[in-house]
Amino acid sequence: MTADSSTIFLLDPVTDEPIEAELVSEIASNNIIDWHTKWQPALGALKATLQRLGVPRDQWPQSAHWDWSRKVEEVEGLLAFRNFSVIAEGLTQGLMRLDLTKSARLAVQLGKPIVYVDYVEVAPWNQPFGGLPARYRGVGSALIIAAVNLSMEEDFKGRIGLHSLPQSEGFYRHLNMADLGPDRRCQGLHYFEMTPDAAKALLEKE
Amino acid sequence: MDSPAPKRTMTLNLTDAEMRALEELSSRKDLSKTAVLRQALRLYQTLDARIEKGDKLILENDQTLEKAELMLL
Repeated sequence: MTADSSTIFLLDPVTDEPIEAELVSEIASNNIIDWHTKWQPALGALKATLQRLGVPRDQWPQSAHWDWSRKVEEVEGLLAFRNFSVIAEGLTQGLMRLDLTKSARLAVQLGKPIVYVDYVEVAPWNQPFGGLPARYRGVGSALIIAAVNLSMEEDFKGRIGLHSLPQSEGFYRHLNMADLGPDRRCQGLHYFEMTPDAAKALLEKE
Repeated sequence: MDSPAPKRTMTLNLTDAEMRALEELSSRKDLSKTAVLRQALRLYQTLDARIEKGDKLILENDQTLEKAELMLL
């Protein structure tokens, strides 16, 4: 599959200035190299800082153990999965893997197809942990909007779903996704779903 | 995205029963007929790949927890 790309804008959290970035419909080898050579050392440094600041471990990044090279490899060539990346200033700022085979659980759209967000993660320097400033704001939102847009393109009417890590639940509530509560079949993580109306409102806001 | 991936067109010959099934799924799933067939292809390819790797396809009833193996030929 050929990758598409589009220009998006992130925000500098200090100056509120827009930063030009690229949303790409693939996770390529350059993204995996960034994950190995830039994200991993930055994550180590972030953990060391959080330890030094005495931030409790349950407030450390909960996606730190994700292995993106494996996540990409296990779905290679499968039509059911789609990957996205965000690049700014020559560096990978966020990664996402989507599954197009899942169905909605919310009563109003039960059984209808959704774009399921398998994994979404922003670079360690974009995660505002322990009061540390993020380098760019809007990477996670840009990726979720890409999932909603794909849902529209696939005739899924903007419906998306995901299981949220505990520290990200507020972000998904803020996007007006319905919280269906903890799912015992997915490590007790809360399951969130977006309706076509919420999707439309989100796209209009952007 | 700049432009969606280019698509190719094909003619599909279906029996009345197959067309009825497609229309019923299209209505129930709130999808166009093309989208139903694309979903079917994604699912079939995913299941086939898993079975090729040696996995089994097990269906479980959510209420009774009864399990049954589905043979994909």
